[in-house]
Amino acid sequence: MRGEEEKSSQAVIVSILIMMGAIAAGILFVSTPAEKLLGESAYSVRSAFHGLFAGIFMVTVTIGLYQAFRLWTGTTFNVREMEVGSILNAAACFLTILFGNWIYIPYRSTGGPRTHFLETAPEIHKIFFEFKEFTALFTLPLAVVAAYLICRYGEKLRESERLREIVALLLVLTFFYFIVAFGLGAAITKLKSV
Amino acid sequence: MATKPNFENLGVAQAAILAAMLGLLALSLVNLGTEMSDAFKTTVHNIGKLWMPGAQGIGPYSGKETISLLVWLVSWFLLHGILRTKEWNAQTVLAIFLVGIAIATTLLWPPVTHWAVHSLGG
Repeated sequence: MRGEEEKSSQAVIVSILIMMGAIAAGILFVSTPAEKLLGESAYSVRSAFHGLFAGIFMVTVTIGLYQAFRLWTGTTFNVREMEVGSILNAAACFLTILFGNWIYIPYRSTGGPRTHFLETAPEIHKIFFEFKEFTALFTLPLAVVAAYLICRYGEKLRESERLREIVALLLVLTFFYFIVAFGLGAAITKLKSV
Repeated sequence: MATKPNFENLGVAQAAILAAMLGLLALSLVNLGTEMSDAFKTTVHNIGKLWMPGAQGIGPYSGKETISLLVWLVSWFLLHGILRTKEWNAQTVLAIFLVGIAIATTLLWPPVTHWAVHSLGG
């Protein structure tokens, strides 16, 4: 009986959330000048999605850092929440890299930002961009392995301090490599976008 | 190296982190190789072109991603099979993981990459 009440409450909450999301999307759709929002570039949609997923990843990876702290110190944590959060974190990471690959094509094309940097300030491409493009890739295996271990071991995380340390370390490293890639990416985009 | 059959221990986690480290080390070494040899760079690019949409425009980076991904997933599969029912010394594995990640990161820092290429005569 109590289980049915809880399921009913969850359904109401989910319904309200979906309705609120639909209203927000509707208002955004009818009121936002999409062209102004995305910019005039021919690659505006793919760069917008790259930025969108990087923004989502920034949120999930920051939550991951907080979860890492809880794992490290052994304070109370909710395994179910961590499972969902870590899967979302890995998914956001994958989508950011996927769209990053797509936006890399116009970056490298003749007359693109790479040409511009090589002509005006080569170190921006040769040092900062090249480092950014690789550190971004570090986040995928780290985030995927963190999610895998959280889902695989589940409640057993509570029993093993060593295991909690490994997962916490993975989440911290994911955050570190994300911050490096995100910071450099944002700075380079400010200098010259695709 | 204690063997504990039918008991899920740290072995699965150790396999997962070591495989991730191997994939990232492969990325750094392949990048070093492409900086040293144009023929290798072309080969790496061709590997990317085998399956990745837009690989022509992405360049050799597509092949570097592909090789890193393959090394990561294949080594994960193999290490998982080896470590599924046992575990290695936890501190040693963690140390190997951290040192491997540090080496991969250092090798990918472009001034170090260029220094290594110059030192190795590429």
